Amino acid sequence: MRKQLRDSLIWYTLIAPTFILFAIFVAYPTIETFRLSLYREVATKQEFVGLAHYARLLGDQIFRSALLNTALLGAAFLLIVIPLGLVLASLLNNLKYAPNFFKVVYFLPQITSSVAIALIFGYVFQPNWGLLNNGLRALGVDPLPLWLADPTYSLTGSRAAATILAVYVALGYYMLVTLAGLQAIPQELYDAAVVDGANFWQAWWYITIPNLRPTFIFLIITGSIEALSRFGDLYTLGGPGGSPARSLQTIVMYLYQTAFESNDFNLASATAVLLFLIMLAVTIFNFRTLLQREFSRRD
Amino acid sequence: MSDFTLSKSIAERFAISQLWRSHKRSNQLKQIIILLILGIGAFLMIMPFEWMLATSFSRSANIAMPRVVRFFPADPSLFNYEVAITNLPLPRLYLNSFIVTAVATVGYLFFSALTGYAFAKGRFVGKSILFLIILMTLMIPFEVRMIPLYFLIKEMGLRNNLLALILPFLAGGFGVFLMRQYISTIPDDLVDAARVDGASEFTIFWRVILPLCGPPLAALAVLSALWRWNDLIWPLLAISDRNMYTVTLGLAVAGRSQGTYTGSALANAAIAIIPITIVYLLLQRYIIKGIAMTGLKG
Repeated sequence: MRKQLRDSLIWYTLIAPTFILFAIFVAYPTIETFRLSLYREVATKQEFVGLAHYARLLGDQIFRSALLNTALLGAAFLLIVIPLGLVLASLLNNLKYAPNFFKVVYFLPQITSSVAIALIFGYVFQPNWGLLNNGLRALGVDPLPLWLADPTYSLTGSRAAATILAVYVALGYYMLVTLAGLQAIPQELYDAAVVDGANFWQAWWYITIPNLRPTFIFLIITGSIEALSRFGDLYTLGGPGGSPARSLQTIVMYLYQTAFESNDFNLASATAVLLFLIMLAVTIFNFRTLLQREFSRRD
Repeated sequence: MSDFTLSKSIAERFAISQLWRSHKRSNQLKQIIILLILGIGAFLMIMPFEWMLATSFSRSANIAMPRVVRFFPADPSLFNYEVAITNLPLPRLYLNSFIVTAVATVGYLFFSALTGYAFAKGRFVGKSILFLIILMTLMIPFEVRMIPLYFLIKEMGLRNNLLALILPFLAGGFGVFLMRQYISTIPDDLVDAARVDGASEFTIFWRVILPLCGPPLAALAVLSALWRWNDLIWPLLAISDRNMYTVTLGLAVAGRSQGTYTGSALANAAIAIIPITIVYLLLQRYIIKGIAMTGLKG
């Protein structure tokens, strides 16, 4: 046993720096967030209040609307970007000329940061002279949509604009990942389908879609986590309050505003813990429903 | 061979080549349609960038915007860029972003590879439970721990210091995980041979393992660089001094404060975007490969 420990020592020194960094910058702040969420500050002293902050949050209209916004924007984003990415990847997979050119162009907004793109799109969506409405006017659309100036739940309102922005930024990435999935499908499957007399759509429905299952699962799981922590682009568009009329405020923006504008760090910590629990629940839900078939097969 | 069979085989060949040609033609039609659709998409993708450039070079864009889409400014001028440069110390912001991205990325690669090596090839007590801890750090999003982290950085006297943007990101669970997976595929014989020659574990790591880790290190470098360069929420908390801003933070803050000055705001965006785009075009092969390898992005 002692020799074993002595042999282990060299390996411990190799992993020590990483674990020290994790202890300081991951473990400690995480535990501290949970602790802060159970206290409140009374005259520079921390006083235990149990779950009071959580009760306050769940009754808070602003928090609930931030929650709804986050879910709505995330769902709309995934429902559009995954099918659109599939269509583009399928086209690209059949293209003989310059496929690399299109990969580079479609992926460009992902590189230039969502903050820079959001800055541009704030003007693209301008109702009177923005690029989008100028284009729609040329096509004869009347009346022109208000986009970011319209906080209602509408297909041409601020939430729709935020979804267009997110799809524009992420489309190239979803296309590339789906393309990698497409290219991993063995050609023999399609050859066998042709021998069996399947047409193009049958091959697509019975071979392509089922074989892309792992790709879709991966994109849904990582995409939902990303949607739950959305911040940078919407902060650039409408500030931490998610203007207009809080229609673009997400959970993380609510957290930021509570902590660093209202200075209520305890309430913000409770928000952070709830965000963590929601992410955990969504991930477990995704795993259980999407991977149900894989689990039951193994049983 | 009789004349008859000869002419038959010619006729057959002719028929086949006809068939093949029409197949080729329909294939070419398919290619043209695909090119057309993807081309329209590419046009829509590039439009906002083109519009940004056209507007930022237009002298009157801070005052009045045209009600038609222009692809070349009617009154070209560098005026908006002059305003943009006085609004933000952009060369300084570039330097800050570069330092943060470079140092954090090099550290992230080093610690990921070193720790990944220990978990792939090492034999030590408690290895699996320690690896489980690494995987658990993956489940804790940054936003969940950023409030105490803010106080910690403040306590350490690192507010408005670039170290605040580097230290919390030197080690990461994903990097360790990826490197462990990759180094596990390197044959043990290589490590054992070096060990017989009397090399220390660190020398083996540095001289034998690291030179073989090009592909995963390149992929991690791309990811880490994108994460650091594009991060907004943490610089927003840790930095309030304009001279310590990163490019992304400066863009978000300035963008919000000069709302109605379209021309100079878009000039700011252009100054932030153009150099990154050039780097991207030069390295696109590695960047796209890295994304495809890990399936992750910035």
